[in-house]
Amino acid sequence: MNPEYFVETNSLSKIYSSGKIEIAALRDVNITVKESSFLGITGTSGSGKSTLMNLLGGLDTPTSGNIKVQGKEISKFDPGELALYRRFQVGMIFQSFNLLPSYSALENVAFPLLFADVLKAERIKRAEEILDKVGLLARKNHRPSELSGGEQQRVAIARALINNPRLLLADEPTGNLDSKTSMQIVQALSELNKNHGLTIIMISHEQDLLNEFADDNIHLRDGAIANKNEMTSEQ
Amino acid sequence: MRFTDYIETSFSNLWKMKLRTFLTTFGVVIGIGALVSMFAFGKGMQNNVTSTFNELGLFNYISVFPRSAERNQNNSDHYDPDDQGYIPPAKDINQPVRILDEDFVKELSAIEGVEAAFPEIRFPAMVRFNDKENFEMIQALPAQISKTGFIKLREGSFFDSDEENSVLISDSMLRNMGIKDAKSVIGKKLEISTLAFELSIESLPNILSFLQGKGLPFSSKNYQFTISGVMELTGMSGPIAMRTNILIPAGISEKMKKIQITSISDIFQSIGQPQGYSMVGIKLKDPKYIDSVKKWVEDSGFNTFALIDQLEEIKRMFIFMDLFFFAIAMIAITVASLGIVNTLVMSILERYREIGIMKAVGASNGDIKKIFLFEAGLIGFLGGVFGLALGWIVSTIINLIANQILSGQGVPHMSYFSFPLWLCLGSITFSILISLLAGIYPTIRASKVDPVVALRHD
Repeated sequence: MNPEYFVETNSLSKIYSSGKIEIAALRDVNITVKESSFLGITGTSGSGKSTLMNLLGGLDTPTSGNIKVQGKEISKFDPGELALYRRFQVGMIFQSFNLLPSYSALENVAFPLLFADVLKAERIKRAEEILDKVGLLARKNHRPSELSGGEQQRVAIARALINNPRLLLADEPTGNLDSKTSMQIVQALSELNKNHGLTIIMISHEQDLLNEFADDNIHLRDGAIANKNEMTSEQ
Repeated sequence: MRFTDYIETSFSNLWKMKLRTFLTTFGVVIGIGALVSMFAFGKGMQNNVTSTFNELGLFNYISVFPRSAERNQNNSDHYDPDDQGYIPPAKDINQPVRILDEDFVKELSAIEGVEAAFPEIRFPAMVRFNDKENFEMIQALPAQISKTGFIKLREGSFFDSDEENSVLISDSMLRNMGIKDAKSVIGKKLEISTLAFELSIESLPNILSFLQGKGLPFSSKNYQFTISGVMELTGMSGPIAMRTNILIPAGISEKMKKIQITSISDIFQSIGQPQGYSMVGIKLKDPKYIDSVKKWVEDSGFNTFALIDQLEEIKRMFIFMDLFFFAIAMIAITVASLGIVNTLVMSILERYREIGIMKAVGASNGDIKKIFLFEAGLIGFLGGVFGLALGWIVSTIINLIANQILSGQGVPHMSYFSFPLWLCLGSITFSILISLLAGIYPTIRASKVDPVVALRHD
């Protein structure tokens, strides 16, 4: 049976408590994402964007509500199942790239395969193939510090895709990049979405970029989804 | 993750912090080195004792003493567990007390399993050789017994008969006299002066001066001997029966006038008691005859002493020694394992973000635990291997120095350390286990890193 939505959240809430003070990072968020679509999320800092991303990426668990990805309720997964989900079902990229500084571009890309029990020769082969696709094969032996921001983010994209996930979560992937490079990165993501059917959820400050490439946009404010009017008035 | 990946990852992680890895591993190396060399020393000493005993046939040896009738009567209601010679009051207390005489020795020699029985005769004498005088305890030994493996000769030969005027001297005596070449003394003359208690006209001046409280009523007799061989004394003080620098044939000894003192009890021997040998040695064909021969001797009314009885005691002593060494080495190892804990905890703090990334790309808590545990294990393995090497090197150096020093004192060259396979493999395994134990806390801590926090971490 094919679920109607690729990603679906239902009354998703995340409350952080520190002592007696409770802070609701997300409140009753309901989103739906169809397969092979591109969802843009905007919002000010502290609006809960990253919390939503971490929940969708299986890095965190909700306080209440549920998340379904490809019909499976990942909010009910145990830590082992969540690790498998992160390993094979979802790829994530971040504003700060989160590459391992002491590893080369190739080693960074191949890193997730280490946990997928892939043999070393196969790891290198696959990492080279995907680095080639993002145009960085020539720089495979460079460390992140020897690469430009755009190149680092492309390495991060290659790493996110090495296990062939069907879902890519991008948490402000252009936040540290100039506008030209930002455009290139988002174009690359869009191409993955259009040509390879990858489902993408991307957080960004840059409404223009999302307007141009995303199929749908939502705006988060104080941990809840704001309506589109509010979204426009805020921008 | 695959096993080889764990090893490769751990190696490369440790390699990234070379200095810290080196220092931490060095702590383990010292701990394991101390443990290994101490155990090797304990084992080496144990081997030396056992092999010396075996080599000298001491496990085949029983000493027989007369059972003092007086003592038995006085102490019949008293039990002292330390008293080796004590035999519970026997029913034969009123039987005539047997003496350790030639007949008994002959009887002994005929028992199954007895290779030889001979009186242990010892007496004090002045030995003159090379213009030097030394006071020595002389021991008499039947010629046939001298060849049964008790004594090892460095030079020369054993006595051919009990009647020849030959003497065996020890190499340590030679060394004390400053003679290095043992060969040069073979065939040389040596004079033994015995003290004899004599009531005769010639000794009258001695007796008179004794009665005046000046000197003792002894006269001395001089005997000439030819050195036929030089004995090797062992490092472990030599066989108890042969703890002497001078050996002469038993036949000659009998003809010499002398005061015979084998043990201090001879001096206290009451007058009028039947005379006999004060000690008889029995050499067995095999240690398995110990119990039967001992029983026979004891049933005949004598006390026995066999070194094999002491072996259990010695073994127990070695266990205590090992435990003591183990305790010391464990202090070093505890310190080293705290170093491992510290290194791994530091490493987790430094690699906080890395752990977050690992989790983000799909590492399970188990994967992370195993990565850190492998790092701990690798430190342990390296520490174990190099610790073993260090222990071996230090032991070898100590052994060289000890032999250098002790050979000057007449102790033959030997290995004070022993490295059996179980010690080598055991120390490496132990090192790995201790390191894994030290890695448990850091490992749990690493697996509990919250990826959300870690990915925000700078």
